[in-house]
Amino acid sequence: MNCFEFRRLVLAEPRRMTGEQREHMARCEACAALAKEIEAFETAIHDAAAVPVPEGLAERVLLRGTMSRSARAGAWALAASVLVVVGIGAYFYAGPGPEHEEHIVAAAQLGERHPAVAAISYVVDHESRLLRETPVLDTAVVRQALAHLGLKLPDSVTMRYLGNCPVPGGIGEHVVLETDFGHVTLILVPNQPIAPRVIVADRKMTALVAPVRTGGYILVTDSVDKVRQAERLLL
Amino acid sequence: MLYVGKRSKFEGLVRAYSAELYRYAYWLARERFTAEDLVQETFARAWNAWESLRDDRAAKSWLYTILRNEHARLYEKKRVDVDDALEVDTLPDPEGASVFESLELRDALNALPPAYREPLLLQTLGGFTCVEIAQMMNTTEGAVMTRLTRARLTLRKLPGWDARRKAKTR
Repeated sequence: MNCFEFRRLVLAEPRRMTGEQREHMARCEACAALAKEIEAFETAIHDAAAVPVPEGLAERVLLRGTMSRSARAGAWALAASVLVVVGIGAYFYAGPGPEHEEHIVAAAQLGERHPAVAAISYVVDHESRLLRETPVLDTAVVRQALAHLGLKLPDSVTMRYLGNCPVPGGIGEHVVLETDFGHVTLILVPNQPIAPRVIVADRKMTALVAPVRTGGYILVTDSVDKVRQAERLLL
Repeated sequence: MLYVGKRSKFEGLVRAYSAELYRYAYWLARERFTAEDLVQETFARAWNAWESLRDDRAAKSWLYTILRNEHARLYEKKRVDVDDALEVDTLPDPEGASVFESLELRDALNALPPAYREPLLLQTLGGFTCVEIAQMMNTTEGAVMTRLTRARLTLRKLPGWDARRKAKTR
């Protein structure tokens, strides 16, 4: 191997050194110095290219996968889910508002891919860590998003966290609110259909899924009374 | 049972590769939200096309290829044709970039033409060989070697690195 060939290879693939290249380096000081310099340069390129990765990326990918797989289920599953949805709808959707008596459905009846069950899992598994991160609190954006869904943010409520989270078919706004009766999670799902109205209990938490004309919202807190109270506060 | 096996393998892939795929996606799209969307879309496609992954050892390059194709499908209106005969001197001159080395390098990576930047990132971030990159980019190993050499020669002309090199040869 000559110096020209050595340089060609070291510039194209610096991290893979062939036996011939090593032999050449042992004989040629200039090529050995070049290889050392390129190695340091390679580390610098790697460091420059290694941009920060958003916190919780893998979890969001997995959660979205869980949610979207239900949407992509086969015709049989689809037919079955239509029956379930119609059944739940007929049973619980007696009236449009929260004032009507609503029963609580166990997560096992709906499956882990249901938006309410997935929302509870997201809150239980990730929220405490997210709350430790520096929150980006733009109240105006939240008020606007809430207004879009026919909701309001009362002055008595403090916003503790605002971020994104996976929702069926895309990304939603994940808002954590501090109210007089405690901590409430609100997930806004703008511009896409969401499951029929339902209250679900799972993992010591309760979630309420409410569709509205332009999307929907999910409220998660630790009791059914608080979920209903939170909804009344926002409506 | 098969579904459970598929799901746990898939989860393993997500945990192992989502970060590096994000970085690659970032440099393709140069925008963090688009990069995350690309990663999400890549894994959604991977799940749907799971049966086409016959060899687990090929999973990494398979995911990179899906991401690359997704980026081309969703965001590239026109694929840039590369002129491998282009001389190094005619590539964008990184001079004038930030004096801080990492930022300087980042700016210079940004300024590289995509056809040079892409194989460089596949090698630097993904650790792929020239042969693997050639397969992913649907080109020859020789063409990849040429682009990688030119990319590195361009970056080495950065003021900070050039000065350091000259100081060493004195």
